[in-house]
Amino acid sequence: MTNLPAITSRDPLRRGFVALPWAVACGMLTYAFIAGGYFVTVMSFAMIYAVFVIGLNIFMGTAGQVSFGHNAFAALSGYTSAVLTATYYWEPIAAFAAGLALALLVALVVGWPTLRLKGHYLAMATLAIGLIVYEIATQWQSVTQGYMGISGISPLAFWGYEIVSERGKLFALVLIVLLASLAAARLRASRFGRALAAIAGSEDAARALGIDVAHYKLAAFLVSAAYAALAGSLFVHVVEFVSPEVFGLHMVVLAFTMLYVGGIGTLGGPILGAVIVSLLPEMFRGFKDYQDLFYGAGLIILLIYAPKGLAALSDLLPRKGRA
Amino acid sequence: MTRKLLTALAALAVALSAAPSGAQQVYKIGISAGLTGYAATVDRGWRDGVEIAAAALNAKGGIMGRKIEVITEDNRSEPQEAVTVYRKMISSDKVEIFLSGCVSAGNFAGAPLTVRAQIPMVLCSILPQNPDHVKWAFSTLPPAGFEVATRLEYLKGKTQIKKIGVLHDPSPYAVLQKNIAEKTASNYGLELVGIEQYKQDDADLSVQISKMHAAGASAILKIGLGGTTLTAAKNIKQLGLDMLMLTSIEDLAVFRPVAEVLGDKFFFVASPSQVYDALPDSPMKAEITKFLGPWKAKYQDRDPNWGARGWDAVQITAKAIEQGKSFEGARVRDQLEKITGFQGTTGVYNMSPTVHQGITVNPFLLASIVGGRVIVVK
Repeated sequence: MTNLPAITSRDPLRRGFVALPWAVACGMLTYAFIAGGYFVTVMSFAMIYAVFVIGLNIFMGTAGQVSFGHNAFAALSGYTSAVLTATYYWEPIAAFAAGLALALLVALVVGWPTLRLKGHYLAMATLAIGLIVYEIATQWQSVTQGYMGISGISPLAFWGYEIVSERGKLFALVLIVLLASLAAARLRASRFGRALAAIAGSEDAARALGIDVAHYKLAAFLVSAAYAALAGSLFVHVVEFVSPEVFGLHMVVLAFTMLYVGGIGTLGGPILGAVIVSLLPEMFRGFKDYQDLFYGAGLIILLIYAPKGLAALSDLLPRKGRA
Repeated sequence: MTRKLLTALAALAVALSAAPSGAQQVYKIGISAGLTGYAATVDRGWRDGVEIAAAALNAKGGIMGRKIEVITEDNRSEPQEAVTVYRKMISSDKVEIFLSGCVSAGNFAGAPLTVRAQIPMVLCSILPQNPDHVKWAFSTLPPAGFEVATRLEYLKGKTQIKKIGVLHDPSPYAVLQKNIAEKTASNYGLELVGIEQYKQDDADLSVQISKMHAAGASAILKIGLGGTTLTAAKNIKQLGLDMLMLTSIEDLAVFRPVAEVLGDKFFFVASPSQVYDALPDSPMKAEITKFLGPWKAKYQDRDPNWGARGWDAVQITAKAIEQGKSFEGARVRDQLEKITGFQGTTGVYNMSPTVHQGITVNPFLLASIVGGRVIVVK
């Protein structure tokens, strides 16, 4: 479940395999910075999704749970940021703090009973959370404007400094992703992370070791909800518009694709998955009506030849010195 | 060696700087359209109308000597994808105007980008809500109230019905119509006894319909696109209800099976191009004739409604450019505001600095389908 990239291997072929997806991802980000244009937008969305998927990876990859409802937390925070900045002229940071608090509160209320469920039951319960929040976003028109959406949202800003340029936004997003990834790595290496890994292996065994399973699962749920909330808030400030479709089931499907293509349970998988999955449709844009066909085929090929994800590509090679 | 290199570089620079002047011979129109997703039928029609109009103008030499190039990108009927394709067409394709489709949220999401780039938009959808964005956006869509008024006038003038219900989907345009029906029904001596919402992918609407019928409604104003119109018709028939259904504008291909189910209890709002044969000779019919020629040559009996509005968008753009003798974005925007009395296929466009939704006189007619033929209800 928790594959660490073989970055210390001395086998040049193995190192090449490990480095290849990273080279593509870094190359694309660098290209976006240099060339500018719409590639910056594609990569910006990839970075926002990377934050979302890093959080999902903690809950699904490290703790071994399933959630189809993290879009709800992105929506709660995104809409809070949108309403507070567009209607009440709050600073983006303050609006995000309010959105984060709301998302965590809802995650706590929802997570307390549902995380006592297991497997399919937990998955169904989380799916319901996502659907309920989506319905609220469409129906509570006096606040959310329904499908009309909310425009006039403040651009991304930190302590009074507004980031208007597309490159500036991408730079800020890359920094946020690196910090989010670093925090996730520290969490994983901590006592907390080891407890989650134990729960992922066997809840009964973890309980026998003295781990408070319900407590740790709830904590993992809250941490991943916080990541989702950050992604939701970032989205509305980058695009400066929000409508319910943004946080629909499509977001869950896309995030799952990124997680599995990148490598669930790996440290770098979420970033790799977000960049590559965002990039694939653009590679095939020239095929017009056949774009989806090639995109789907590309994903299937990736999952056939890299079933553990791009971050675990080196596992495909035979290890030297193995009996 | 260095001198030769410098000379070569200078020659290359001159060649490169000369290249854009050749590229300027083309006027680039960008379309952000939902070619897949819920808006596919409508937006494909709009795109095809734009392309036919561009081809017709190109055959006459283009606009002020510049040929038109149409670049279409699929936004999948999703706002996030719309942002990407708007950005692509602005930065990579360098489009000079957007004639985008009917995905309102997608156009709203792309508006901040077009405003920053100072590129005007002539839209199939409703206008953005933000006043700064409206400045650069124009719409070919008649105001939502016209579709409602056409149906309420018929109910008031031609029937004894006093109580009605509204069945609508949650899309922005449908909600606008619902709000207008709610406010204006009483002006026509009608009581709105039920407002029910459904989702575009609902497979059964009998609960909503039964509730409105139980509240005393004898007619339903159905507002929204897609297969739910046929679903509603089947539900009315299955429930054995004696109710009229009057639907908002839609593709004729959707209406034909509905007419088979409900017969003379089914009416729909039609745009002039959909009832071309029933129109008297007029400047509008003449304009529709110009459009229908190439349209029918390419698409035969396909519904011309959305394509006709795409055609109008190109004609308005050409008029604005010729009026201002400039292709520059800000100048085209200014001239779009000055278009008045312009006869299109859907009505007469009268733009102004405060009116960017140019059709100000109701062009719609109420129609039904009898024996497979579309007829105007007098």
